[in-house]
Amino acid sequence: MNKKGDKLISVYWFAVLFIVAAAIVYMVHAFYGKPYDVRPIEADILISKIARCLSETGHIKEGVFEENFKENFRGICKLNFRVEDVYGWREQEQYYVEIEILKFDSTESVLFLEDGNKQLRDFCGRDEKNFPRCLERSLYSLDKDGNSYKINLVSIVRKTEKNVY
Amino acid sequence: MKTLIKKKNGEILTENIIFIILNLVFLSILVVFLFSRTSTAAVFEEKYAKQIALALDSAEPGMTIYLEMKDAIKIAKKNSINLENVISIRDNLVTVRLRDGEGYSYSFFNNAQVTARFDTESEEKYFFVIDKK
Repeated sequence: MNKKGDKLISVYWFAVLFIVAAAIVYMVHAFYGKPYDVRPIEADILISKIARCLSETGHIKEGVFEENFKENFRGICKLNFRVEDVYGWREQEQYYVEIEILKFDSTESVLFLEDGNKQLRDFCGRDEKNFPRCLERSLYSLDKDGNSYKINLVSIVRKTEKNVY
Repeated sequence: MKTLIKKKNGEILTENIIFIILNLVFLSILVVFLFSRTSTAAVFEEKYAKQIALALDSAEPGMTIYLEMKDAIKIAKKNSINLENVISIRDNLVTVRLRDGEGYSYSFFNNAQVTARFDTESEEKYFFVIDKK
């Protein structure tokens, strides 16, 4: 009787081991089978880079309000939105950037600039796995005359196919 | 009577040893599976391509970034890949290749001139020199 009981326990034990193994295999596959989603970090770095391009030590950089800045934004901020030629990414830009500079006291818009794939803007505020990653930040800055401004920044990174399974 | 007890004790010991060995075999297979899944060339290619792209995104001209890639280098050596060709940067695209094939590519948005080199002194690092374009 005792021997039978032992055998029964070992059968259950192997059943438990099998369940544990299946769970581990599933978890490993679920974790390592998916690509690393680096888009939130990418959007964060992009927004920081733009902020540094616009403002330094709390002061708006010279030339930001000039017309040339809008026209040559990528060159001035040293950005290159060219991506790898896969999944039709070259036909549809994978980045979007929006800059709005408002006078702090009157909220009058002084500068509005958008660059990249404008269609991505619609995905902001919709936090779903397969949607582009959107990040919004604000900062305050002064011009050389001491006038204060609020700078609203938006950066969006798509690259869904390489970051979400 | 004495022989009977001895025989029973012997049986219990053998059964337990077999049981323990089977458990160990089972767990070893599980551990081998875990390691094989987590340290494949494909996983490392993606991990390092993205890591390098992010590091380059936040880099400024004049910087030199060192990246330790011991584990990836080990895999590249195993797959007979020339260590000078593991990382290639063309325009703003990083490609990491640790096995035969195209490797894994990821783009970075920093418009800088980047050169990737293998650190021949330590033989476990790569370094990236960032210059103005």
